[in-house]
Amino acid sequence: MEGGMAADRAVREPRILAIDAGGTMTDTIIIDRSGDFVIGKAQTTPEDESIAIARSAEDAFDYWKLPLRDGMGSVVAGVYSGTAMLNRLLERRGQRVGVIVTRGMEDYFKLERGVQTHLGLSYSDRLHVVTHRHSVPLVPKSRIRGVGGRVDMFGNEAIPVYEEDARKAVHDLLDEKVEAICVSLVFSYRNPSHEQAVGRIAEEVMAERGQRVPVMLSSVICPTRLDFPRLNTVVIEAYAAEPSRRQLFRVREKFRDLGASFEPRIMASHGGTISMEAGQLVKTLVSGPIGGVVGVKYLADKIGIDNIVCSDIGGTSFDLALITGGEYALKNDPSIEHFKLNLPLLELDSVGAGTGSFVRINPLSQRIEIGPDSAGSRIGLCYAEGKVDTVSITDCNVVLGTINPDYFLGGEIKIDRDKAIEGVRKQIAEPLKLSVERAASGVIELFEESLRQAVITKVLGRGFEPVSYSLCSYGGGGPLHVGGYTEGIPFRDVLVPAWAAGFSAFGCACADYEYRFERQMDLAIPPKSSAEERHSLGQRINEAWGVLSDEVHAEFAKSGIARSQVRIKPYVRLQYMGQLNDLEVASPVDRIRQTGDFEKIIEAFEETYDRVYARSARSPELGYFVTRLVATGIVDCEKPALPNDALAGETPSDSAFKAVRKIFWRTQTIDARIYQMEELRAGNVIEGLAVVESPATTFVVPPGRRARLDAHRIFHLS
Amino acid sequence: MNRVANVMDTAPKTAGWDGRTLHQMLDDSEAAFAKSGRCFGLDRLPLKEADPIRFEKIFSRLRGSLVNARETALNISASPIVKELGELCFCLYSPEGDSITLSTGILVHVHTMSEAIKYMLRNDYEDNPGINDGDIFVNNDPHIGNVHTADVQTLVPIYWEGEVVGWAGGVTHVMDIGSNTPGSNAVGPTTRYEDGLYLPCVKCGANDRLFQDHVKRCERAVRTPMYWSLDEKTRLAGCHMIRAAVQALIREEGIDSYKQFIREVLEDSRRSFVERVKQLLIPGRYEAPAFIDAQFADEARLPAETRKDILMHSPFTLSIGAAGRLDVDFEGAGKWGLHSFNCTPSAMAGALWVALTQTIMPNDKVNDGAHFATGLHCPRGSWVNPDTSTTAHGNAWYYLVPSFGGMFRSLGRAFYARGYVEEVIAGYGHDGNILQGGGIDHHGNESAVSNFEMSCIGGGAGTIRDGLDHASVMWNPEGDMGDVEAWEMVEPLLYLGRSVKTNSAGAGRRRGGSGYECMRMLWHTETYELQFVGDGAVFSYPGIFGGYPGSSGYRFALKNNDLEDVFARRAPYPTGDRHSDGRQATDLVRGDVVLDKRATDLPAPFRERDLYLSFMRGGPGVGDPLARIATDVAVDVREEVVSAEMAERTYGVVLEKSGGSVDEAATAARKKALREDRAAKAVPVRAWLAREREVRVMAKDFSAPVADMYRSSMKLSPAWAARYRAFWSLPDSYQV
Repeated sequence: MEGGMAADRAVREPRILAIDAGGTMTDTIIIDRSGDFVIGKAQTTPEDESIAIARSAEDAFDYWKLPLRDGMGSVVAGVYSGTAMLNRLLERRGQRVGVIVTRGMEDYFKLERGVQTHLGLSYSDRLHVVTHRHSVPLVPKSRIRGVGGRVDMFGNEAIPVYEEDARKAVHDLLDEKVEAICVSLVFSYRNPSHEQAVGRIAEEVMAERGQRVPVMLSSVICPTRLDFPRLNTVVIEAYAAEPSRRQLFRVREKFRDLGASFEPRIMASHGGTISMEAGQLVKTLVSGPIGGVVGVKYLADKIGIDNIVCSDIGGTSFDLALITGGEYALKNDPSIEHFKLNLPLLELDSVGAGTGSFVRINPLSQRIEIGPDSAGSRIGLCYAEGKVDTVSITDCNVVLGTINPDYFLGGEIKIDRDKAIEGVRKQIAEPLKLSVERAASGVIELFEESLRQAVITKVLGRGFEPVSYSLCSYGGGGPLHVGGYTEGIPFRDVLVPAWAAGFSAFGCACADYEYRFERQMDLAIPPKSSAEERHSLGQRINEAWGVLSDEVHAEFAKSGIARSQVRIKPYVRLQYMGQLNDLEVASPVDRIRQTGDFEKIIEAFEETYDRVYARSARSPELGYFVTRLVATGIVDCEKPALPNDALAGETPSDSAFKAVRKIFWRTQTIDARIYQMEELRAGNVIEGLAVVESPATTFVVPPGRRARLDAHRIFHLS
Repeated sequence: MNRVANVMDTAPKTAGWDGRTLHQMLDDSEAAFAKSGRCFGLDRLPLKEADPIRFEKIFSRLRGSLVNARETALNISASPIVKELGELCFCLYSPEGDSITLSTGILVHVHTMSEAIKYMLRNDYEDNPGINDGDIFVNNDPHIGNVHTADVQTLVPIYWEGEVVGWAGGVTHVMDIGSNTPGSNAVGPTTRYEDGLYLPCVKCGANDRLFQDHVKRCERAVRTPMYWSLDEKTRLAGCHMIRAAVQALIREEGIDSYKQFIREVLEDSRRSFVERVKQLLIPGRYEAPAFIDAQFADEARLPAETRKDILMHSPFTLSIGAAGRLDVDFEGAGKWGLHSFNCTPSAMAGALWVALTQTIMPNDKVNDGAHFATGLHCPRGSWVNPDTSTTAHGNAWYYLVPSFGGMFRSLGRAFYARGYVEEVIAGYGHDGNILQGGGIDHHGNESAVSNFEMSCIGGGAGTIRDGLDHASVMWNPEGDMGDVEAWEMVEPLLYLGRSVKTNSAGAGRRRGGSGYECMRMLWHTETYELQFVGDGAVFSYPGIFGGYPGSSGYRFALKNNDLEDVFARRAPYPTGDRHSDGRQATDLVRGDVVLDKRATDLPAPFRERDLYLSFMRGGPGVGDPLARIATDVAVDVREEVVSAEMAERTYGVVLEKSGGSVDEAATAARKKALREDRAAKAVPVRAWLAREREVRVMAKDFSAPVADMYRSSMKLSPAWAARYRAFWSLPDSYQV
């Protein structure tokens, strides 16, 4: 797909390459110096991802008539994001891992946490206990060993480490032919000495046996509280991330073979990109939906927006994130699929409603039920090859006429409108005693209402007001429904990038080169702490920030980046004493040097707390508790330029106007004007009801609303 | 102008609609239902009929805001019970107190808060102390509307232009309520006067702020003031979020539509519930009694008159009418007692609610509509409906949970009969053990603990799958046991192990869910009081269709032991009690052993390094264990869910000594022998009944608690006594 709408250029200078390697398709977006881009596609090759990546890059360069080698030679930055690691985890195709835990805890994976049996289920299934299931253990009990010894919550040794247990455990696991050994002991983040002892013994035993497998300590991989999520995290590093690292090295080799000189980076769950050499590659477990948010942040920075809602509609889900004051929030203990984890993940709410969501009528209550299951890539009844027998959201759009059956993915996919009409009639309209059109539009209204609800609660739930936010809509289905799910919400502005369909990949190209390290501290600040107490706490905080900065520098050093190139930012995670949930605040000071510095941090925390949980919940009388300290380090890297087109008049040119089409809107049929997106010019204004079509996106401008295209190829819906 | 203003000032102000008081609105609503059998007498649903899509949109918005309030507010709490285990719930009510929609969480309270609101209306709170915009009310009294005192409710009226258009309610399970023994499921109290802090629908704030006297009073009344305070803020913040969401909805939809909606949605849900009952269940009368013991005869710390062993009797009957009505009857339940296990009709209604939301109605609008389509008979004077308000209720759950086991078993049979085999669940394991107690903790503070790992016990088996292992509980399908590192922050006890409890799962063709156990060691405390809470001498959840119950419990502790020396020698130490006989510990450690079936006791002192075993029970099975697929048994043995010995004895499955695969020939032989043994022992039911009648019933050969139980039920309920006599063909003069 060719993106952007600028005239053909004689000379192309590709600068950035971003890969989105999905389970079925691998997309590569290539962006040139002026911000124009192309997207290439190829079927994913799971056994060796580098093959599909090279093919999709070749496909992309082909649009600009550039040979692959020439194109690669000119690229200066590349970012990879993909689902391979997550799929390896979900399909249980990971390495053969052995695990050493605190004695008595060998049933970790059998017991899991109860919550893992109902994570991610719909509201009704969460109540409906017969739908709950345990996960298949990542590591069978035959490869889990316990070692005697205990550290308590203060970091004191309660039971000495039983070194003989450790020796036997390592022998047993090596006999089991494990490919890696993970060690996760209770409270190791407070006192890692027992884990270190086990690690040392493992090295000795391996030396004795002349064998060598990687040994991973949880106190190194993720030194943070909560033993089960920490165990999950370190085991996933060994189980799924290490094999992915080998795949990524092949991608890098392939690129080098093709003449590339850049060092490909990987999109990580905290929103930055990291090197393939990173110590904790598990941080890249979730990267796909992150890209879009990073892209919005980049756009917002460029055009001067502080607060913006990111909304992404795909085939199966609606993803939402908030950028407030130019920053997105991170979650420390996220749930990914059925796993509780201990790693920073960009805070993203996912609602199980997408364009492929199935629509059914409950036979007893005559209620319309949307999802949670979805036709996904099988689209709906209207796509015969999908072999679907239930109406989907897309079918309803086809019935209404908002989707052009002859121009789905630019006409690549054949859509049968009659099948959609027939399905909606039988499955929805007749049971509800409505006309086919009204039934379809009712479903869409309900669908958009649920998205609209999600948007409102996302903003209000964090204590903010929509009037201080803009909203950006992207993903395959975003521009189609954005009019509906923003209706009546007083956003400052609603943005729809013309390249909405490729926005996630674009977003990856916008990410900083950024490492993030954190450390559990558990420092109490009693309500009436003395100046001395605060001084000594300040010292400990400064020391920890120092250590974390060193960790950041060490990771960059692996890629040959000097300390002087790295910008370090310190953060504090705080809560009221006794609470279990902390909040992260960017520290207003880089070190605690003088009286008052401490108070500045507290002030920043209280301001955030008010916003998130209502002022009535403030509890300074309890004192404060520093749970973790964080340091991030950022290195400048090449980012996409935003196109800056010359402005034309408000009226679109004749060449942009395609046709008039009848569309059923809410309760009546209206003539809608149809435009070709690539033919619109900056400054053009489209009055609703109108549909702007491009091969990958359909953008609907509802009646009474208008969309203006700006110089950066972003529509503003008002 | 002045005159008009004066008249307005002196005219009586009412918060109800159309100039009525809220009390009048409640009376009108109840009268309309009594007369028509339909909510508010509605025979048509004009809003829904005219625009079913808009109707659904309004519902989805309201429910979204409730779920959001819960997800956001729970982060304020400090209590692992609330934050980690989700023991909180929010609900939106009509002005009369009927629930419109709710969040997930402890759903038992949807109806208890409804009773609390209705209590305030019936007692004319509108007049005194006043129900004003911005007011805050708190309640935890089971005689008004609650299960036990540790569930604390915050209620906030929602105003629109001078009228109450609804109530927001939030409930959290607090860590301690200041009763005479520590913890949130107090077993020590024998009367209301030992139950701790009672807040019987108290106005505790105005203008959206809590009264300082209320705050101070509560902080001084409970052992965990910090947790109390943050929990109260959690509830209040959630209620305020709900209020804001409702007001925003009214601004968009208009007040008239909102009012119409909250009427119609209740009637709509009532109808839908009736339809579901008709669709899913075979009508009939289902009986499923349950029992649970508490052995207090030797409890020196109890008042003398309460020191005896007791057995709860729950004669559960479920009647399913052909027209879709559902009635639950506890006729025959024994008298209330001088213990903290008493329930109130409010608690029983709450539990009924819990059972329904998990089984019949999870896929529908969950609200009080179902309440209007069900009946609940709680005989007065019994433990389900004491005829005095002096009773203690600190651990009402102890009787409540087993008594509603009958509901799951009855529904299971009714689902099965109708062909919905995938819906069958034989109930749950008993929700014990609760590790509970208090003292000076490892931070040097006065403290109380109630470990909520028992929100993950074994689930009952179904007909097409085994019970869910250690992940849910009757009162919360979204169970979670939390992390070891989270519990050790608040409890002065280390985990020496947390593992599957072998043989805890009830045997069956589909076995019950397995329980698990935690070996705990007192750490960094000079002295701490701990108790055990769980079933012991009897099981409280039988299986169905020939399935066995999950194992009942026991208590094990090893006090004044030599663990310090064991650790110094790097000698093996106990991490559990796999064989349920204490040997795993006593073989390794010397000390004073506590090992018996008195699995519910009063707090007793523990010292540094004493061991305490907390065993979360397994669930009941479905079907004959001999019909279980042998390879499934082999997997159970490998995962230590079932011992090799039990595999042979109960399942008739013999495994190879090495490798653990099924020894086909030996298994066939073993099953044959077991079947022959059964046949040899079997007698016709008629003959068995005749023998039991002679040697047991006529001879009155009952243990003291069993005899007490029968006496109590027969005295309180002539109807039940008559049924008992008729069943055993006894003379009318028969008495126990």
